[in-house]
Parts: sequence; structure tokens; C-alpha cells
Amino acid sequence: MSNTYIPIPMKVEKILAENPDRSLRTYDLSFVNEADGKNFHYVPGQFCEFSILGKGESPFGIASSPTEEGILKFTVSRTGSVTNEIHYLQEGDIVGVRGPLGNWYPFEKFKGKDVVIIGGGFAFTTLRSLLVFMLENREDYGKITVIYGARTPDFFIYKEELQEWDKREDLNLILTIDKPVPEWDKLCGFVPVVTKEVSPDPNSWCVICGPPAMIKFTLPVLLELNFAHDKIYTSLERRMKCGIGKCGRCGIGSKYVCIDGPVFSYEELKKIPDAF
Amino acid sequence: MVKIKKTRLKDFIDFVQQEYDVFAPTEVGKKTAFKKIDSAFEIIHDIVNTDRSPKEVFFPQSEVLFEYGKDGLKTPERKEKPIAVWGLRHCDTSSLTMLNKVFSDAHQMPDKDMFKDPYWKEKYDNSLIFNQACNTPLSTCFCHWFGRGPFDKTSSDIFVVDVDDVFLLEGISEKGKAFLAKYEKAEQATKEDEAKITELKRKAESFLAEKTDISELFEKIGKLWDEPIWEEISGKCVNCGACTFVCSTCHCFDVSDEGKKGKGKRIRLWDSCMFQLFTKEASGHNPRGISTQRVRQRFMHKYNYFMDNYGVHLCTGCGRCVQVCPVNLDVRELIKKVLDYKIS
Repeated sequence: MSNTYIPIPMKVEKILAENPDRSLRTYDLSFVNEADGKNFHYVPGQFCEFSILGKGESPFGIASSPTEEGILKFTVSRTGSVTNEIHYLQEGDIVGVRGPLGNWYPFEKFKGKDVVIIGGGFAFTTLRSLLVFMLENREDYGKITVIYGARTPDFFIYKEELQEWDKREDLNLILTIDKPVPEWDKLCGFVPVVTKEVSPDPNSWCVICGPPAMIKFTLPVLLELNFAHDKIYTSLERRMKCGIGKCGRCGIGSKYVCIDGPVFSYEELKKIPDAF
Repeated sequence: MVKIKKTRLKDFIDFVQQEYDVFAPTEVGKKTAFKKIDSAFEIIHDIVNTDRSPKEVFFPQSEVLFEYGKDGLKTPERKEKPIAVWGLRHCDTSSLTMLNKVFSDAHQMPDKDMFKDPYWKEKYDNSLIFNQACNTPLSTCFCHWFGRGPFDKTSSDIFVVDVDDVFLLEGISEKGKAFLAKYEKAEQATKEDEAKITELKRKAESFLAEKTDISELFEKIGKLWDEPIWEEISGKCVNCGACTFVCSTCHCFDVSDEGKKGKGKRIRLWDSCMFQLFTKEASGHNPRGISTQRVRQRFMHKYNYFMDNYGVHLCTGCGRCVQVCPVNLDVRELIKKVLDYKIS
């Protein structure tokens, strides 16, 4: 019988500091054993337990898209003891990964439909996975709108790709920062305000990820625009250990974020007290 | 149904030990617990509820998931015989079936095996469960509230009744029946022996305190999320977590590494929803940062969430939490409070 507690060995191929204070870094990992890579089937929205032997594990959403073969991408904010250790990693180091865990964004349902992606800060990780996946299969989807906000221009992640996406005709990318700074020629203002201004078509499907405050204030805007409750999706974060619905800590109501989520629709979440 | 003289129990346990490691109620320091025994003489027959619950037989307080070193990862190889547990009262037998629901649940995921717990299954799936009738329930017992009782035979392999100078044994599962059939030294039980069971059962049931009807509990507690009742209940709780450690159905655990970067082991340890650190995230955010939220989580999990997921309350009425609580929080009083509560 398979043992989900055993991490898959992976090699750190590339490390990229995403911002000047280097508190956010993106890691490209490759499979040490080819067979592990072949058996690793994931879709946008799923997560993994990133394992540093001797320190422990932490859950991170997969930032790469399944269309990017051979690598897994994670963006890690330096916050606690495991993430601290991850930030000490060098290219070539071997780490462990358990997964793919959890459910995913309902991209099958997005086919032929318009999609709005709303993100804030460094919560753009699994949104990147989804966006890259949809852009690779561009003809499957209708209009794609991305509203992405960060405190300052430095705090966007995947900056190079943002520039490329910005040039695309088949993608409406809206970037916004909290307060104006010199040489910033995009929007200024919080995500809820910008969302209201952009006023996306309420027949679209919407995926929103970001700091709790952003979600709290953006949701009413979407509801006011008349988005259907079962067409708004978000991804929740909780402290997760086992990732397979046994250890009990990521419970929200009778659901577990690790197996019933991390992706939930607003329709589901409004019935669970204290989910946000 | 067969019978084995108590003076011949050692011979029977020896027979079981040819195939199984036998765990039974025994003394561990000043406490009683289910531990592996060498001989039948170590078994304590007259304790109803061991201080520590039998969950540790299959789900130990700490368990090595794997060791890591120069040669990579190594999972512990289980060389022991399968496990037989003697002396389980029905509350404890049923707690194991509840834990089994959690640990063997595949959660409707595409890769079915991936979500089952191999460490639990390796031990529990091949086990032999002796479920012993409970002749003298305690004042803290309330198994009957959940529709079970001291002489319940379900969810076991072999049902055992302690009658005068003999043990009566009845095979319940196919595995149990087949095992008993192999023990040729057992005598057939007589009609008189079996008649004594009825009398013992009646007597045992008479020890049980008054039954509370909990048929409305699931629905009622589900409506109390925002009610001040949780502040009232949690006011006294010191969040010591003793109830969760002695609980036969609490299964929350932590995963933690011991050792250095190059060599060490990853273990899992019982954890408790009563502790603040249980849910505290690295960012400092804590979804259950205050005591009231944690107490609510514990009881909602027991009497609402688990029912929602698995169709049964995550409580057997063994009463261990009532016995150990340092501030005398009695879960039966809590249930009654919930049932009587008038929603504001």
C-alpha cells in the first residue's frame, strides 16, 4: 500500500528572489527519480507539503502549471521555522515534497466561459498555475480578466511574466498598487475598488485569492455585481500537517481544508461559520 | 458458545499468542493501560475502564513515520505478529471502529490508497478483537446514551463474558468464529451458562445512571455556533487537554522531526485541539486562538461534525474525560445543557 507520509525527493533547480527584501522566493524543483515525475499528476489549485528533513513540513500551493512538464514551482514567504530553512536552500539541494494534495479550481467548468481572476500580494501562486494552464489552452476559454493588486510594485510576484502577459491581446491584465509611486503607470487603489471599477461581467466564473481583508471587501463587490454564489471560488489556508484528513487541525465546520478544499465556492463557504 | 475455565485462561492466551501479540489491561506504573503481555497472569480482569484508552495499541502516542540518514528514507519495518486485544469493553471496541473510519477513509479521492493511513491499517486490519461484556459499569459511564450497552456484541471478533469461574466465548465475526474453532480444549457452554448471561446483563444495566435522550443532539448543537453557551462552558476549562489524551476516539496528531539535517526521524505525536498552538499559523494568525473557540471545536467535532461525515457521534460514553477533568467539567452535563438550551 502506498504511504503518503513519505516525501518524494526533489532537486532545487532554480531559486528566484521575487522582491528587493528577498522575503519571497520562488523555487523550481525537479524530480530526482523520473518515475516519481511520471506518477505525479496535478491540476491548478492543488497543494503540496514541502519537506525539509530535520525541520518539518509546510503546505504550499503549487505555482506551476501541469503544462510546465518536469518541474514544480513554489513561492515561499519567509515566516516561520520551516520557511526560514527553505530560504537557506541553495540550487542543487535535495528537498522532499508530498502531494499533490487537496482539490482544485473547477477549470473544467470554465470551458467556453469568461473567467475573472482576482489576486492580492503573494497569494498569486495557484492563480499563476491556473492562468498559465488556461493560456496554454487559450481556445478553451472565453474572455480572461486578471485583477492583481500589491502594496507596492516590488511586492508583485512573477514580475517578468506579468510584463509578458501585459502585452497579450487575449488577456486583460489589470495591475494595481495601494498608493501611487513615481514611474508607476498602472492603476492605484485597493483591489475591491478596482474590481468595482472594472465591473467584470457577472456571467463569468471568478477565482479570488489574497489576504483575508482583500477577500472580505471584494466579495461584497462581486455579490453586488450579481455574480452567482456558486461561481465564485477561493482557496483557503490553514495550518495543515498530514494533508490527508486525519490529523484534525485544518477543520472548518465538518470540512477539512486539506481534503474538502483548499478550493471552496462562496456557496459552500457561506454555510460554514468562521471559514474566513 | 464455548467456555474456558479461568484457571485455564493461561493456556488459551498462550494459544492466542502463537499467532498474535496479545494486548490486555495491565498495570503500567501507577496507571492501567492496554499493553502487550507475556502471560495471562499480567491481565487485570476487574477494571472496567483502563486509565489510558486502548487507542494507543493501534495509534501510539508517538510513532516513527520514517527515519532518514545517508542511505535515504527508511520506514519502520513491522516484524511483530498481528495484534489481538483481550479485555476491551464495548465502549472501547466501538471507539476503534470510529478511529478506523478516519484512518482508512479514502475521502473519495481518485487515488484511493493515497489517503489511507498505512501505519494504522497495518496494525488494525489483521487484528483480533475480544470484546468483553462489562459486568459492572461505573457511575461515569454513559454508553447507553448512544444506543450501545455493556453487553453489546457488535464490531468485534469474539465476545467474552466473565461468568463466575469461567469465561464464555462466542465467535462474532467469521474471523473470530474460525479462530475459536481452532482451540480444541474449549468446552461447549451449557444452557445454564448461557442463562447466567441474561442475569448478568440485567444486573449490569441496572448500574447505569439514567439515560438522556440524545436523538436531537446533532441538530441542536449544530444550531448553537454563535450562542453564548460556549463561553459559559469554556469559562471553567483550563485547556489542559487531559480529556483529549485519555479520550478513546480523539485522533488529532502532530507531525514533527527529531534529529538533525543529515540524520533523524519524522514522528507523529498525539496533539490536542485544546492547545492554542494546534492551529496557530506561522503568520501569527490563529483561527482558534481563544479558549471558547477550542472548546466549541472539541464538542462540535464530537457531536456534530463527525456525525456529518461518518454517521455516528465521535464519543462512546466511556467516561474517561469525566474522570480526569481537573475542573470537573462533565460532558454529560454539557450535553444536557445543549439539549435544554433555549436559543436566544
